[in-house]
Amino acid sequence: MKTFKIVSIIGFIGFATISCSPERATIVQGKSGVQLWSETCMRCHNTPSPADFNDADWSTIEMHMRVRANLTADESKKIFDFLRSAN
Amino acid sequence: MKRIILPLIAMFFVSNLVAQQDSKPSKTQFMIRGYGSAGFQALNDEGEKESSFNNGTFAPIILFKFSDKFMFETEMEFAYENGELETALEYANAMYTVNKYITIRAGKFLLPYGTFMERLHPSWINKLSSVPLGFGHDGIAPSSGVGVELRGAFILNGSRFNYALYSTNGPTLNDGNDEPEEAGILHFDNYEDNNKNKSVGGRIGFLPFTDSSTEVGFSFLNAKVGDKDSNYKDVSSNLIAYDFSFVKKVNSLGGIIDIKAQYNTSVTDDAIYIEVHEDGDEEEYTFENSSDSFYAQLSYKPTMSASNFLKNIELVGRYSELNTPEGAEWESNVNQTAFGVNYWLSWRSAIKVNYQIADGTGGHGGGRIDNKIFTIQWAFGI
Repeated sequence: MKTFKIVSIIGFIGFATISCSPERATIVQGKSGVQLWSETCMRCHNTPSPADFNDADWSTIEMHMRVRANLTADESKKIFDFLRSAN
Repeated sequence: MKRIILPLIAMFFVSNLVAQQDSKPSKTQFMIRGYGSAGFQALNDEGEKESSFNNGTFAPIILFKFSDKFMFETEMEFAYENGELETALEYANAMYTVNKYITIRAGKFLLPYGTFMERLHPSWINKLSSVPLGFGHDGIAPSSGVGVELRGAFILNGSRFNYALYSTNGPTLNDGNDEPEEAGILHFDNYEDNNKNKSVGGRIGFLPFTDSSTEVGFSFLNAKVGDKDSNYKDVSSNLIAYDFSFVKKVNSLGGIIDIKAQYNTSVTDDAIYIEVHEDGDEEEYTFENSSDSFYAQLSYKPTMSASNFLKNIELVGRYSELNTPEGAEWESNVNQTAFGVNYWLSWRSAIKVNYQIADGTGGHGGGRIDNKIFTIQWAFGI
């Protein structure tokens, strides 16, 4: 068990280090709100339509989901700006 | 409690309706969401068959946003069981966004111990009508705690990371004085601390791919768990969980593949417990207090099908197992296999048809565990 833990932690750090690169950073930071909406919500549940809630409700849900799903501030803003613009 | 809660909910509904009629935007925002379920269950427990319509459950979530940085959220759960309305407070906490990378929460919150209880357990999100072994009642994974938490997320050179670090009252060790059959088991839902030690726990999540399809996580929770004035005051527990998630629309398969898995371990210091025999004699005993549980789930939804009916169908399979300490009164080695076909009526409402087989030994009753459960559940988010 101890070996498993050590290997897991080293593997986690190693994988994290290898997967980081400036090219990836450009791709991730250049994602639009609609792209992030289509990729992010479905990690836990079905993707809602922008029309399901009004602007005020989306703002409330934005803070709730940013914390619950541990989204970055920039991702959260892009996703919910898109939802408010498309509802 | 119920006399207070029910009028409060009614008041919230009314005030929400009034607020919606007012078109003038308000800085303070209020919202009721939540989820519920109802269904039918047929059980075959070692040849003994019974069936019944399940009692409905309703879990309203109240969100109160005071500003762009400050919010209060709470979730209650209502269920009708044994002729009475059962109520529970799932969580109630205030959160404040310190900056882009840190949010602080205080109160009762769902613990980021793996991902199942924090993100996936609501009935309209959970793809099966049951929870995997190791979670919920008699589980080894904590679901919520009372305390304070820091959490956030950041992108580092193209990879996403998220973290949570918290301190809560922590688990409590059942020393067996009142419930000898549960000696050595941990209880997690503690509003008051039973000692001066506060638990420390956290989770770090890592999303290595640019499309966020994959997340791996590592969680831990350490605490002293014995009562401060008892022989168990120095007994500590160390809980660790690993979680994995892969969700992606795969064009070659014509739909969404969703894989979830979590492995939990719980190790509590050895302690001496007392077994009281039927003749009143007492006998000391001990055991290696280590438990683990695991689940893996695969689902497929053919979202790219030309048929509107097939688009809304989802196939699910899940395997889980739970192993509790050998020599404990609650020793068990159980595995569970569940299959399901879900039909999604909307993005937040599904009819789930599930078949689940559990096989193993132990549990509170001891002996063999061999049951099969067929369920139909209508789950909905609001």
